Amino acid sequence: MIQFSHVTKQFDGTAALKDLNLTIDDGEFFVLVGPSGSGKTTLLKTINRLVVPTSGTVTIDGQDVSKSHLQELRRHIGYVLQTGALFPNMTVEQNASIQLDNLGWEAQKKHERIVELMTKVNLDPAQFLHRMPSELSGGEAQRVGIVRALAARPKLVLMDEPFSALDPVSRRQLQKIVLNLHKQIDTTIVFVTHDMHEAFLLADRLAVIHNGVILQEGEPDYLMANPADEFVKRFFDVDNSNTRLLKQVITSGLGRPLTKQDNVIRLQNSQTVYEWAGLLEKNPTQLISVDGEVLDQSDLISYVADLGKESSND
Amino acid sequence: MIDSVEAYASKNAGAILQALWQHVEISLIAIIITIMIAIPLAIALVNRPKIGEVISQLAGIIQTIPSLAVLGILIPFVGIGTVPAIIALVLYAIMPIFQNTYAGLTHIDPVLLEAADALGVTYRFKLFRIELPLAMPMILSGIRIATVLVIGTATLAALIGGGGLGTYILLGIQTNNNDALVVGAVLSAVLALLASWLIKGLSKLSFKKLGIGVLVVLVLGGGAWGWSALTKPAQTITIAGKMGGEPEILINMYKDLVEQDNPKIKVQLKPNFGGTSFLFKALKSGQIDVYPEFTGTVLQSLVKSSQKVNSDPQLAYQDAKNDLNKQFNMRYLKPMAYQNGYAITVRKSTAAKYHLKTIADLQRVGNRLNGAFDPDFYQQSDGYPGLQKAYHFKLKSARTMEPSLRYVALADGRVDVTDAYTTDPQIRQYHLVVLKDSKRFFPPYQGAPMMTNQFAKDHPNVVRSLKRLSGKITTSDMQEMNYQVTVKHHSAAKVAKQYLTQHGLLSK
Repeated sequence: MIQFSHVTKQFDGTAALKDLNLTIDDGEFFVLVGPSGSGKTTLLKTINRLVVPTSGTVTIDGQDVSKSHLQELRRHIGYVLQTGALFPNMTVEQNASIQLDNLGWEAQKKHERIVELMTKVNLDPAQFLHRMPSELSGGEAQRVGIVRALAARPKLVLMDEPFSALDPVSRRQLQKIVLNLHKQIDTTIVFVTHDMHEAFLLADRLAVIHNGVILQEGEPDYLMANPADEFVKRFFDVDNSNTRLLKQVITSGLGRPLTKQDNVIRLQNSQTVYEWAGLLEKNPTQLISVDGEVLDQSDLISYVADLGKESSND
Repeated sequence: MIDSVEAYASKNAGAILQALWQHVEISLIAIIITIMIAIPLAIALVNRPKIGEVISQLAGIIQTIPSLAVLGILIPFVGIGTVPAIIALVLYAIMPIFQNTYAGLTHIDPVLLEAADALGVTYRFKLFRIELPLAMPMILSGIRIATVLVIGTATLAALIGGGGLGTYILLGIQTNNNDALVVGAVLSAVLALLASWLIKGLSKLSFKKLGIGVLVVLVLGGGAWGWSALTKPAQTITIAGKMGGEPEILINMYKDLVEQDNPKIKVQLKPNFGGTSFLFKALKSGQIDVYPEFTGTVLQSLVKSSQKVNSDPQLAYQDAKNDLNKQFNMRYLKPMAYQNGYAITVRKSTAAKYHLKTIADLQRVGNRLNGAFDPDFYQQSDGYPGLQKAYHFKLKSARTMEPSLRYVALADGRVDVTDAYTTDPQIRQYHLVVLKDSKRFFPPYQGAPMMTNQFAKDHPNVVRSLKRLSGKITTSDMQEMNYQVTVKHHSAAKVAKQYLTQHGLLSK
């Protein structure tokens, strides 16, 4: 259990976090979401003391982090950065076993653990263990970053916008991998993102942060239904965001019921029309199914045409 | 040109190899010391940017001081020889290594450093496995720049008796021996290129292999040094000589005589050690024990005396001996027979044609002869102007000419009269005639071993051996030996041994 109590952080006189209180339960997938500059990353970093609060305390299982042995504390917390941040002078295996090295694991046990995790993130160990980071794609590098964070079986993993720099397809794959991993292991994940859809997709619970204050916290559906104020409402109001979800296409009345003869690709209603358009680009006759409705190329054209009417009505 | 360089190199192969090794040794020690200072300093200052900046500026300022000046400044503090040379080189090399290490460490992607911190790695792991390897390309390029700089600058070590390839460059300049100059310059350039190429190759190795390599070099180097220090004979005395062939022949004779008479003493020679003031300072500070010096030089450059130099060689020696004893507490042994003073020479044919025997004979025919003189000789009152007054002669024309060129010009017939040193081998080479200084205008220049009184007291046997040369070696003997060494390129040691054996001073 992570507890923030009255956490305030000032940078050169301006407050990045203002008297913030929050509790994250064991085993939760907790997402901190907010626009850039909201203080969400600062809050995340107070957990492993990359940021030291100006006042207030952060405790993990009742233990004040400011009183813990710094390296000891960090060696038991997984950390995934935005860009993978692999060390270019080390192989994939060396990168992945850094915490294990510092914890004094035996070579054989280290190797076995890394191989096990590599397989879980869909990287073939035989092919990837001895590669250098410069030989990896962004998605592959971030998978290694995740293996590195999970290697020491931490009770807690911190992820700081880990997928924001990836292309949509890789992002999608990694989101699935992380969700699956979280289901398999008993680990608390604190995940920072500015992408509302990502927050929805991943979170058990989430907190919306703006200007160093938590505006609201709770389960995604609850927040969606009961936004605490205008800011949260707008933040969740998908119609006002630039991203168009397949859910919105269905609710606009397009599509027809799925039949057995249809050769479809299934997509989630939280996926975007852009991913759909991407599929159509490859194969214009491709059908997709969302929530039991079948959509084809003409539906996309109708939807986009309607969007134009909407904005001209504004 | 290439043939003569080749001939010179093959005749002096042993000595050149020794100088090359010495050069490598000086440079390597300087670079290792610099690395051991600059890299830890940069590591310590990475998180203290203000102090780091100051040090960086300071190292930059040191580097703008001409290396020759640094050497000069250091002499009063650390004396001469290898030590000040290495100190100067270290001062020079610190900047590129420090700055590159500092820049390499401060320019690591902050995201990687954050990742390292966040993963809770130890300080050592972060430094040796992450920061240094990431900064290594920059550090190695700094070491490469410093090494090239050091190998180049190490040629200046010869100026203060540090040895190395600079000895040949200096020798080449001073004796106008282009072969020596080329050997010194080319070897040091090749050495620099080779080192640069080697370090470039090292940058492709992994950090771990690099560390092991450095360790192996250190252990081997330390071992070799320790072994050589341990196996040194109990008593070693050091005899040095000025630049050129003649001093080298003399000190080889000293060595042969001392070692024959005193089997327990080992004589270490430092030929081409430097100029007068360096040698004298080295003698005073005890870095060398003995070196041969001329009476004329003692009286004119070393001791303070209000009197004019006595033209009688015996009296001049007495003056030099007394003044050295009184003013510097030094012992000056009896000189050898030969004179290596100024002289006036003409071609054999000219001498025959005009019946020239003494300088006074120029009164008769001087207005038919053209003269060319060393620039110093041409200006000094004890040179050409004074000579003209003393002998009342006038030449058809007189101009200055680079010392070694004037012999060639004389031999070619472009000029008829030049100044010379009495033992110069060119006199024999070009069959020149030395005109007699009947009025004893030129001060006497007789060579004799010089040492501190303390050394003479502690080593009576060495003094006894050195005294055996007094009154020996005539001017023509010396001329002949100089000819063998500087023109024929025989080794000084061989020529010296030959003379001693022939004259019964050394048993075979």
